[in-house]
Amino acid sequence: MASEYDFPKNYGKGNGETAKENNLRDYSESRFINRGRIDLPFLVLTVLILTVGVIMVFSASFARSYYETGNAAGVFLRQLIFAVGGVALMMVASRVKPKTIRRYSRLLMIVSVGLLALVLIIGVIGGGSRRWINLGFTTFQPSEITKLAVILYFASMACRYKDDMKTWKYGIIPFGFWLGIIVVLLGLEPHFSAIIIICLVGGIMMYAGGSNIKHLALIVIAGGALLLLVLLTGGYTSERIAAWRDPMAEKLGDGWQIVQSLYAVGSGGLLGLGLGQSIQKHMYLPEEHNDYIFAIVCEELGFVGAVLILLLFALLIIRGYWLALHTRDRYSSLIVIGIMTLLAIQVFLNVAVVTNLIPSTGISLPFFSYGGTALLMQMAEMGIVLGVSRNIDDK
Amino acid sequence: MKKKNNIIKMEVPNKGMVGRTLSLMVVFGIVAFIVLVLQLYKVQIRDHELYESNAVEQQVRDTTISANRGAIYDRNMNTLAISATVSTVYISPAELIMYEEEDMRVMISSRLSEILGVDYDSIESKWLDTKSWYKTVAVKIESELADQVRDFKNEYDLKSVHIVPDTKRYYPNGSLASQIIGFVGVDNTGLEGIEAVYDKYLQGTSGRIVRVANEKGVDLPYSGYENYYDASDGDSLVLTVDDRVQHYLEKNLAQAIEDYQVQDGAMGIVMDVKTGAVLGMSSLPNYDLNNYLEVNEDTLSKLAEQGLSEGEYNDAVYDALLKQWRNRIISDSYEPGSTFKIITLAMGLEEGVVSENDSFYCDGTVMVKGRAEPIHCWSRDGHGEQTLAEAAQHSCNPAFVNIALAVGAERFYDYIEAFGFFGSTGIDLYGEGSSIWWTEDVFEDRTNHSQLAAAAFGQTFTITPLQLITAVSAVANGGYLMEPYVVSKVIDSEGNVVENHEPTVLRQVISEETSKRACAILETVVGSPGGTGKNAYVAGYRVAGKTGTSTDTITEAETGKKEYMVSFVGFAPADDPEVAVLVILDNPGGESGIYASGGVMAAPVVGNIMYDVLPYLGVEPDLGIDGESGIYEIKVPNVKTYDVAEAKATMENLGFKVKVVGNGSEVTDQAPHANVSIAPNSTVVIYAGEAKPDKIVKVETLNGMSYRQAKAVLEQDGLFIRSMGVPPSDALTIVVASQSISPGSEVAYGTVIQVTLIDNDSSIMEGAG
Repeated sequence: MASEYDFPKNYGKGNGETAKENNLRDYSESRFINRGRIDLPFLVLTVLILTVGVIMVFSASFARSYYETGNAAGVFLRQLIFAVGGVALMMVASRVKPKTIRRYSRLLMIVSVGLLALVLIIGVIGGGSRRWINLGFTTFQPSEITKLAVILYFASMACRYKDDMKTWKYGIIPFGFWLGIIVVLLGLEPHFSAIIIICLVGGIMMYAGGSNIKHLALIVIAGGALLLLVLLTGGYTSERIAAWRDPMAEKLGDGWQIVQSLYAVGSGGLLGLGLGQSIQKHMYLPEEHNDYIFAIVCEELGFVGAVLILLLFALLIIRGYWLALHTRDRYSSLIVIGIMTLLAIQVFLNVAVVTNLIPSTGISLPFFSYGGTALLMQMAEMGIVLGVSRNIDDK
Repeated sequence: MKKKNNIIKMEVPNKGMVGRTLSLMVVFGIVAFIVLVLQLYKVQIRDHELYESNAVEQQVRDTTISANRGAIYDRNMNTLAISATVSTVYISPAELIMYEEEDMRVMISSRLSEILGVDYDSIESKWLDTKSWYKTVAVKIESELADQVRDFKNEYDLKSVHIVPDTKRYYPNGSLASQIIGFVGVDNTGLEGIEAVYDKYLQGTSGRIVRVANEKGVDLPYSGYENYYDASDGDSLVLTVDDRVQHYLEKNLAQAIEDYQVQDGAMGIVMDVKTGAVLGMSSLPNYDLNNYLEVNEDTLSKLAEQGLSEGEYNDAVYDALLKQWRNRIISDSYEPGSTFKIITLAMGLEEGVVSENDSFYCDGTVMVKGRAEPIHCWSRDGHGEQTLAEAAQHSCNPAFVNIALAVGAERFYDYIEAFGFFGSTGIDLYGEGSSIWWTEDVFEDRTNHSQLAAAAFGQTFTITPLQLITAVSAVANGGYLMEPYVVSKVIDSEGNVVENHEPTVLRQVISEETSKRACAILETVVGSPGGTGKNAYVAGYRVAGKTGTSTDTITEAETGKKEYMVSFVGFAPADDPEVAVLVILDNPGGESGIYASGGVMAAPVVGNIMYDVLPYLGVEPDLGIDGESGIYEIKVPNVKTYDVAEAKATMENLGFKVKVVGNGSEVTDQAPHANVSIAPNSTVVIYAGEAKPDKIVKVETLNGMSYRQAKAVLEQDGLFIRSMGVPPSDALTIVVASQSISPGSEVAYGTVIQVTLIDNDSSIMEGAG
């Protein structure tokens, strides 16, 4: 057992001695400011995806903006401001030492759970659930913070209990305790998609952090059974499933959105109608600049454009995991894994919904979907990854 | 673990974590994306066409641009029907909610109501259907009104008020030839008459605007998805109908309805004998094509007098509407009566079973095999000994029964078929009625000749008026049964001929020689003093024809009431027939004092139509036939500024009597005016210095008066007479049946009144019964 947790002598490309020295030097330089070179490929990919995303928000939103407000660029400009702010936030976040993040992760967790409770009391109702807190100038979903809190705090716990992660007591129960609280609070909103994402991310954090595979498998089986039960009995969700299985049959009802999405994706074909040329965005497809923005991407840029964008995401995610593999710091590695997994899960679920691979869940596409606070969160997360990258030399 | 450790001591990833991270990288960085790309491939490439076609179906809006409907012209290219561009105004309650200020609704309603004259409340109620995108406010409005609405729309930049172009059909002649032309519905599709039959020619091909629209049906902003497909205008039709001939026909039918108090309408057709082309065809009462849903005013006032309950009245109005749309000439099957003797005569001559030299004896009845009761002649006393021509003149039933018996039932039946009485004539109009005949085995029953005998004089079967005139034309034109038609040419919008209707000979039924012999005999029906058709006489023209008086068997079967249909079919000139005319008066009233008979009532109508139509069609009058005595009107010359003596001589040479008023030496004025025609021995007035009295005279009732009486009455009032119909004579049976200016009208001194003279002699006229 113990040997498993020993530092691997031939880990990575460099040799252990140098890496150790580097790390030590970093930590000695400043208590708070993270220095070192940023990972350029990761930065470039992030900015590239963000740029394409903001452009697509403009293309997808101008029709509805025009019809509803007369100002075609309204949504776009707002998103652009948040994108610029997001880049700044990312750079700031990259300066925060992972050590510092770890120190405040527990507090963040408590605050986010507190906000989840608060939203049940003062939250804004929309679409039959209470998910948003109104800040006056914008609204935000506390569940966005919870996602990050779970990553940061679970990584912290996984480091703290690293020698005992194989046990129920340390490897499962502390994590399960927090997930339980979060699931209950989100269930009260209710916010089904957030539950799925947080459970998935939480589970992955436990897996990466070293929890016993057998224990996790047991929980996954039990959770899966529970999920199936909920899906089969819950009225609203089972309607969504019916619409997913045969959207055309429900074309004018629950299937409307997915059918319109498929029309958009399908009519894009190989090369698409051209940027700005979507027809489905003209009031046919609801949430066209939001959860369903990728359908407009497919319609306008075609299969080629959509695959290229997915390739950018894949490269970003792989680069992120690569960074996680190359950092010498366990906590840093875990938070990067968490952030990249969260990103991958959101991208996958969003695109899978838009192409009707899975039933509709209401998950937005990172960097693309319109939404200020969500974008700021994502940029902050990328900043954290970039911050980790500063401590890696052999990149 | 202690916090302190966290700060000072590095926690490094271990081997196990590396493996787990690599697995996550494979799952989330590679596998997940491969799955997504495969799904994208499925939707975007594999099922691309399915989704694209569905998407296009919902995105593309088709707007039809209606093609201009072709015009309808008479044979001289006078316009009978033409389309003009109009507009339809509609409002969109859904767009009102989307785009307009809240207080706009009332303002829009009141302005539209003001401009279009539509009830304000009805517009207001249309806004209530807030989901609707299309509520029609006014259809087919004129361009001035549409412009006013457009100005209003632009003034307030209204999104919820729409004006779309449409076309409207105009019929410049109102009711003229209404049943031939027919009308179009609001969707510009022909519903009746030529408009319906030739709809596919007239329609043209609609154009389309294919545009891409958003979910609300509104054009996409900033997009160029729009395709135009031009409309191609409909073809126009040139009819065989002549608007003047049609006018003469309708005028004379209307006059007959008035003169003879015809209760159930009058119908008539004028056909080109040689081609089967219909020159005019009408069934009165007819209707105004521009308001085809309105019942004829006369009909309405007649219905109003009957004291019907509201329900009965509404039903009656509806029936009247259907009846006035009905082209009875082609649709109504009736018992023709004696006009059918033309056919019996033709087949007898063709078969050689009778000749001009045969004589027939009529004692008022004839017995036929299989029938216990004798068949009566209309003349109970009988016609005595008569030639074939006289039998035709007398319309003698026993004589024609004998001709039919000589022809034989089998051959008779074959001729009926050959003359086209069994099938439709093939005219290019909808709604041809079908005839009713005995079945062949009943008709040809060797033990019972009563069916054959009755058929000989046109009873116990029904045919359509169109079938009759077509067959009579065949008798007259040398034996050729023609296919009647009303459209002679189809021309496209540039005027090129697309289709030309050539006259179609269906078959030759009788020989040219038989035809000539039949024409000669039929001419005597009109031309001889004892002829039943003498009232169809037209001075200067050789008119041939045959009278008919029959019971309306359909009304009799339905109501038990005995009503008559009197008819006359004639053609002229008899030696080379060009025009055939058939007139049927349905249920003429007994109170007119005129004997209800085809010879008395229908023959003069045909004569008057011939009188109008023949000169118009350029048929030269044959003055030789009547000699000096055949001139019943003379054109008054202009003698103004003449020397009085010279003027007097001029007038007297023409056969006028002259009265000179004043003592001057030069003629200062004359009555009547120059160039009007009046009766030969009328007294014309020459004013020499003295002024013509400037007075107004009331026209007296002349109907029923003898010619001499009528002339005297008019001359006393300072009016002049001119006669039509039978030649004027002092015989008491020659009476005025009709006058050109109705009684009680006020006319200027010196006006010419035209009267129609008929021979009202019931002893020679075939009567009803």
